Amino acid sequence: MKAVGASRTSGLSPAVKVVGAIALVLTATLTPASHPLWFATEAALVAVALVEARVPLRQFLRRLAMLSPFVAGAALAAALGSHGTDWRVLAARSTVCLATVIVLSQTTSISELLGVLRAARVPNLLLTTLALMHRYLFVLADESARMGRARTARTFTRSRRHAWVTAASVVGQLFVRASERAERVYDAMCARGWKS
Amino acid sequence: MHIPDGFLDAKTALATTALSTAGVAYALRQVRIELAPRRVPLLGLSAAFLFAAQMVNFPVAGGTSGHLVGAALVAALLGPSAAVVVLATVLIVQCFLFADGGILSLGANVFNMGLVATLSGFAVYRIGQRLVPGVRGRVAAMAFAGWCSAVLASVSCAGQLAWSGTVAWSVALPAMAGVHMLIGVGEGLISALVLLAVSRTRPDLMGPVTQVQASGRARSFVVLGLLASLGVALFVAPFACPWPDGLEAVAGKLGFGARALAPSAAAPLQNYRVPGLASPGFATAAAGAIGTLVAFCLAVALSRLVVREDSSRKSSHV
Amino acid sequence: MNASIDIRSLNFRYPDGTLALCDVSFCVAEGECVGLLGPNGSGKSTLLRHLNGILPERLPTDNGAVLIEGSAVTPQTVSAVRRRAGLLFQDPDDQLFCSTVSEDVAFGPGQLGLSADDVEKRVREALAQVGLSDLSGRPPHHLSTGEKRRACLAGVLACSPGILVLDEPTSGLDPRGRRELMALLTAIPATKLIATHDLELVVELCPRSVILDRGRVVADGSTRTLLNDEPLMLAHGLERPHVLQHSHPH
Repeated sequence: MKAVGASRTSGLSPAVKVVGAIALVLTATLTPASHPLWFATEAALVAVALVEARVPLRQFLRRLAMLSPFVAGAALAAALGSHGTDWRVLAARSTVCLATVIVLSQTTSISELLGVLRAARVPNLLLTTLALMHRYLFVLADESARMGRARTARTFTRSRRHAWVTAASVVGQLFVRASERAERVYDAMCARGWKS
Repeated sequence: MHIPDGFLDAKTALATTALSTAGVAYALRQVRIELAPRRVPLLGLSAAFLFAAQMVNFPVAGGTSGHLVGAALVAALLGPSAAVVVLATVLIVQCFLFADGGILSLGANVFNMGLVATLSGFAVYRIGQRLVPGVRGRVAAMAFAGWCSAVLASVSCAGQLAWSGTVAWSVALPAMAGVHMLIGVGEGLISALVLLAVSRTRPDLMGPVTQVQASGRARSFVVLGLLASLGVALFVAPFACPWPDGLEAVAGKLGFGARALAPSAAAPLQNYRVPGLASPGFATAAAGAIGTLVAFCLAVALSRLVVREDSSRKSSHV
Repeated sequence: MNASIDIRSLNFRYPDGTLALCDVSFCVAEGECVGLLGPNGSGKSTLLRHLNGILPERLPTDNGAVLIEGSAVTPQTVSAVRRRAGLLFQDPDDQLFCSTVSEDVAFGPGQLGLSADDVEKRVREALAQVGLSDLSGRPPHHLSTGEKRRACLAGVLACSPGILVLDEPTSGLDPRGRRELMALLTAIPATKLIATHDLELVVELCPRSVILDRGRVVADGSTRTLLNDEPLMLAHGLERPHVLQHSHPH
């Protein structure tokens, strides 16, 4: 998922990256529409960071496409003539902000992020939950894909109803497996001295 | 429904961040008190489960497919406090590691999907489940709860967009709520089918994971529910009130930027016309009521369809 | 001298009432390497979980049926027991629950309350011991099964246990991974109890074996004698391994 090698941006302290990202997003949000030069500066800054962090273009564009429902909605609102923000301003703002977050996500590992959150006095229970979620989301995503493939291999109808029932039972099984794995992880944590 | 950055103004971002921080902090505190130590990893694993579950395709038409959001489902499976923590975790990871949803709008996303969706889903599920015992009741309750959670979260989202001045309320509400009344059908359907699948394999996994008395659970739900309701009221009330003159008077008294509120409040009356209905406020309410009734009937129909009550099997109480 | 592991008439029932272990008794002396064999469902994993106090859920407060280095496993002693007896679980994904290999290996020493420098030293040594020093920064889902198993082993070794309890250590490994793991295990001087279906591993590593079937000990003796006893093996869901069928001296 993170295909980024070493870059100067990755080398910065994680706290700097997070605070910097928030600052950039805040600035972009607060920049009034009447100051296009500000936008240009922010956009340039982020573009430099994007390139420096070696974010693949296709990935960036794909993420950008996910913005479209909201931008389209805002464009519609503008077309209907109601009071609202100019959709071009919206698009510019959200693109700059999105690019910032992408750079952050590509150059910051989960451990670094958790370190920043720990320093920000986020409760331990949430940090543990975040760490475990990140650790096991790939495992569960793999299990889900495998179960889906196994079901597809045994599916001979093309009915949508069957597809829904199958998908639902895959998700149900996923929850059961996640619960059972949670028990085993607890045993493994205790086995190495974890005291809750 | 992940709101990206740039769509909410600073005051909305601030308000939503404050509300969701309070809500998540309270939920964390409750979970720490209520959760048995051996269940702690279940929070993280459930968050991972939800993330993976959200990627499963439910084919709709052509090449499109629906996906589960899962707030109501997780609330039904784990209880309200744990569900808030799980949803917040998923949203935080999605924001910072997958750039899904903005940083400044994380507060709003957690509020909508982590508080409004989970708590409304939980409430509807529990009430429905109490009204109709047995598997059928659970399925119908879950389906309706999933629908409600999607719609209410979208209303909250619309309120935030309007409060920010990004999209007028008169456009935001019908657009968001209208779309989510449809999406909600998928959400309800998927949630119900998944709950049924779990109840058939491991019925012991159903029900809240906390070991506290029902009264304790009710208390956390009430506190969190109040917080969510307060937030929704904050975002929606300025626009939902059908008496703009009264609103302006109130705004003036409270020293609100009446300038900011008044145009948005007046807009629904000017631009939104439903043929045949005199008052647009009434039209919105009527549409909402009809939609809710239809969803409720669909939920009941679903339960009859998927649960074939075996006369020899006793219906089990959870 | 106390035996490293001393199990005396251990009984255990699952919550639903099924008898999992019935009157299990055997010892493992210090430095010994014993194989624990038996068909699926014989109770091997359940037995192993008793050795570091994961089971029973409510530990006995007085002299229970399991003694590790002379002390019974009670709520008071369980932390010390877990430090002395390291358990390697069957599914490495259950055991590698941290975000990177080095974080995971550091988990155990971290729980021991060591200083950051000491923890780092132990992590480095443990990773070197299993040959994973250059994978320390990797997330677990980027590792092969063999690498995951070795990372789990490093995580356990970092706590310097005197006793290693392993649940199916070679399952899912390709031939090279298997050989590497077996070489590693041979080099570790700790007392070892290895539950496994890998009969060739048992022949090579464990001079003594215990056979469990349906929760009972049905045989306890020299590995070669037991494994050569074809009727005994077949009666308990096992078989005579090929390596013994061609009787040439090793």
